[in-house]
Amino acid sequence: MKKLAAAALACAVVLSAQTPAWKALQYKPLRPLTFPNVDEFTLPNGMRVMMLESHTLPLIRGTAVVRTGNLFDPPEEVGLASVTGSALRSGGIPGKTGDQIDEELENIAASIESGIGESTGTVSFSCLKENKDQVLDLFKQIMTTPEFRQDKVDLIKQQMMSEITRRNDDAGEIAQREFTDILYGRDNSYGWSEEIGTVAKIQRSDVQGFYRRYFFPSNILLAVQGDFNRAAMKAQIEKLFADWTAKQPSVPPFPPVRFTYKPGTYLAVKPEATQTNISIGQPGGELKDPDFPALEVMADILGGGFNSRLFRRIRTQLGLAYEVGASWGADYDHPGLFSISASTPSQNTDKVIQTSREEVERMRNELVGEDELEGARETVLNSFVFFFDTPGKTLNRLVTYRYYGYPKDFIFQYQKAVAAVTREDVLRVAKKYLDPAKFIVLAVGNPKEFGEPLDKVGSPVMPVDLNIPIPESMRQGGEPK
Amino acid sequence: MKLLKCAAVLLMACLCRAQDLKEFEKHVTEFTLDNGLHFIVLQRSEAPVVSFHTYVNAGAVDDPQGKTGLAHMFEHMAFKGTAEIGSKSWAEERQSMAQVERVYDQLDAERARGELENKERITALQADLKGAVEKAATYVDTNLYPRIIEENGGEGLNANTGEDSTQFFYSLPSNRAELWFLLESARFKAPVYREFYKERDVVRQERRMRTENEPQGQLIEALGATAIEAQPYRRPAIGWPSDIENLRVSDAEKFFATYYVPANITIAIVGDIDPATAHTLAEKYFGPIPKGPLPAGPTTQDPPRDGVKTVEVESAAQPIEFISYNRPSQYDKDDPVFDVISSVLSGGRTGLLYKSLVRDQRVALAAGADSSYPGSKYPNLFILYVAPTMGKTLPENEKALTAVLDTLKNQKVDEQTLARVKTKVRADLIRQLDNNSGLASLLSTYQANYGDWRKLFTSIDEINHVTADDVQRVARTYFVDKYKTVAYLKAPAGAAPAGAAPAGAAQ
Repeated sequence: MKKLAAAALACAVVLSAQTPAWKALQYKPLRPLTFPNVDEFTLPNGMRVMMLESHTLPLIRGTAVVRTGNLFDPPEEVGLASVTGSALRSGGIPGKTGDQIDEELENIAASIESGIGESTGTVSFSCLKENKDQVLDLFKQIMTTPEFRQDKVDLIKQQMMSEITRRNDDAGEIAQREFTDILYGRDNSYGWSEEIGTVAKIQRSDVQGFYRRYFFPSNILLAVQGDFNRAAMKAQIEKLFADWTAKQPSVPPFPPVRFTYKPGTYLAVKPEATQTNISIGQPGGELKDPDFPALEVMADILGGGFNSRLFRRIRTQLGLAYEVGASWGADYDHPGLFSISASTPSQNTDKVIQTSREEVERMRNELVGEDELEGARETVLNSFVFFFDTPGKTLNRLVTYRYYGYPKDFIFQYQKAVAAVTREDVLRVAKKYLDPAKFIVLAVGNPKEFGEPLDKVGSPVMPVDLNIPIPESMRQGGEPK
Repeated sequence: MKLLKCAAVLLMACLCRAQDLKEFEKHVTEFTLDNGLHFIVLQRSEAPVVSFHTYVNAGAVDDPQGKTGLAHMFEHMAFKGTAEIGSKSWAEERQSMAQVERVYDQLDAERARGELENKERITALQADLKGAVEKAATYVDTNLYPRIIEENGGEGLNANTGEDSTQFFYSLPSNRAELWFLLESARFKAPVYREFYKERDVVRQERRMRTENEPQGQLIEALGATAIEAQPYRRPAIGWPSDIENLRVSDAEKFFATYYVPANITIAIVGDIDPATAHTLAEKYFGPIPKGPLPAGPTTQDPPRDGVKTVEVESAAQPIEFISYNRPSQYDKDDPVFDVISSVLSGGRTGLLYKSLVRDQRVALAAGADSSYPGSKYPNLFILYVAPTMGKTLPENEKALTAVLDTLKNQKVDEQTLARVKTKVRADLIRQLDNNSGLASLLSTYQANYGDWRKLFTSIDEINHVTADDVQRVARTYFVDKYKTVAYLKAPAGAAPAGAAPAGAAQ
């Protein structure tokens, strides 16, 4: 925290006679943050628990984080993890259907939800403190003895297939999805999409099998926070999960990422569009890379906020876009994606692409301004307190670090590293990591309205197929287009 | 005022059965400056952060005829700074901005000749205008105003413009609270309309993004323009394209002078701040803003209507449908009943629409309700929406939805359902209480809309008094054809996806 105070004082130097009023303000050092006390322990069955007592509101919330993810989907049943995550809650428990649980929970304004995303599964609850026993009991049963009733598996599958038929309705969504899929490749779980055919194949027994493989105590981290007594809550959790002894071999790491995409220009045609959604990018990195802090500062200067180069130039000075920005994509356990994104009237498509490229070139060839660097650093350092302004945020951060195997004080290491970033660092990482030869440029829109044909931007233009495949067996009556 | 305060304390005590809410009011301080600007300060010192929310009682309903989108355009201009903040040289910039206006006046005058306009002169003036705009841009210290906020650790910096209001908000580390007083008062003392015409292009693009390229955005705009005949809610807050493209600096100046008077603004501050300090800083920075008369709101009302109205929007997207019923404003005694009905229909996993259309009949991917659209200060719309599942049609959905509404009209909603909704409302409020910025928004909004922020709590009491009879009565009164409007997406001719026939086909 000392760094923060120093930064605040540094800001108040260099005053002159014509100093504008806002520069003349003097700030006291920020009151030091008090960090909440998080208890950690492991149950005899191997489940890890993190607990934070907090009496601000009469509520209790908890999340069980399960080491699983749709990265483990089998190729012929893409969507299996999602169906499992959803049916875990709605499929009910012995003696109680999911619908009965809905009524029971909503009668007391409580909730239990479950889901599986790319690289985590979660089961979470929230309730008024007076309902804690009832809700914790249901929470445990849902996590340990889900029934996955057939009608709910069917309902979820039907809903997912219906969503697939709607996935091309929004150009922004297309741009985001296709950008990711092209870069990671459609032949692996980072880049493939759920299809009607892969969802249709999923059987209840597959769901039960997926559940059994990943939901066992030593594969789970439970975080609980709120208005309780920590000793009493610890005793309650120990008792609650004492009889859950499921065992499985430990879960392997997620598959590695292999980038094999073809750099170049891609076009997805949306004939009715009056604007183009543009995504430009390349592979990013991981949060634990030593250069991550400098890359974050670099991306912030390039496209991070009101003050970034892309925003100033493309939005404020040229009036070409409402949304424009860049981010250095970094993930916890695999390379993320560096991206520049914008939407602009169709006729400006080439201008926005060219301008974005120019700004990348400038980033790679010139030192950033002293004021730009200072601004980016100040932004990160002064807003640091908002990482910790509620106990919930602090606990979530600790849970995430624990889940991905990051040090507890990772964010403080990051803070320190950001404060030390120099202009030379920014130039060095921009040169080292940003490589326009590796970029893909994806435009989603109506090429008939483009100001210049897209192949002026980059040739050849590779078409993106937005067709939604329908399995043979489903091709009669009532099919989606 | 005192009576109400007592009632609120009692209510809150029974609301929560804990001391938390009773404590709540003890931490709230209110004061009004001589110019009429009202402040609500809630001190909460758990973390060294503070959130600010400025609620301006002016929105798109106040846009003059032919100038829709003006309230929103002004919101954008409020980030452009002041004479002192955002200029490399104000004296020169001011002259260059005046030159832009002079050229634009000539252009407008020439255009006003209509058929007689001189095309060559128009082209020449357009070139002049472009040159003048570029010249003015050379004096701009780009985005300095928001940059100062960002560099000082500002979090959640944004604003929004609705039909009823314009709201500006962000949070700061609490040691920098004075910066907010300085910056916020500066922009509402003397805003500068720099880069107006470039920002107008940005707003035009915002409309493309949110409405024109968004099937739901297109459809809801069509619904509003159909269901409401005369009253300003029929116009989109972002504005019609041709209105946006003709907005001028003088329009924004007039709008500001009329509607941004201190008495028309309410500010809530929530977080680590001493109320006495806040008061002192408020006097220092906001005190000098001159007072002005409270502006009048629009008076146009819809004429009585009869019969269902229908509007279709051609779209390549998968089908969706909105059904709306015209309803009275939030000041009507039945307002809490509409909230209850909306919750009965679409609250959580037990809402009737979810249970019937999504879960049991499986005709809908999504089905729900919204009790007030697009605003709530004036008579507005109760909205229902459906998105069919693969292979199911809008007529099938509409039939199932009508059946649910008929149940509300024909049977009394059971006590358990009613109790569930009331419990949920109470719990939802508690869940909102630990978020500084959310609370600042709620306090200022309730204060500005009802003259007392305590309505945030007393409205729960009103909901508690809603009976099954009320629900049935309101459903029977309002969910009828003469208030009904249907809006749906229709596949372009020749591209009709099977199973996506328009709802109109069934009627």
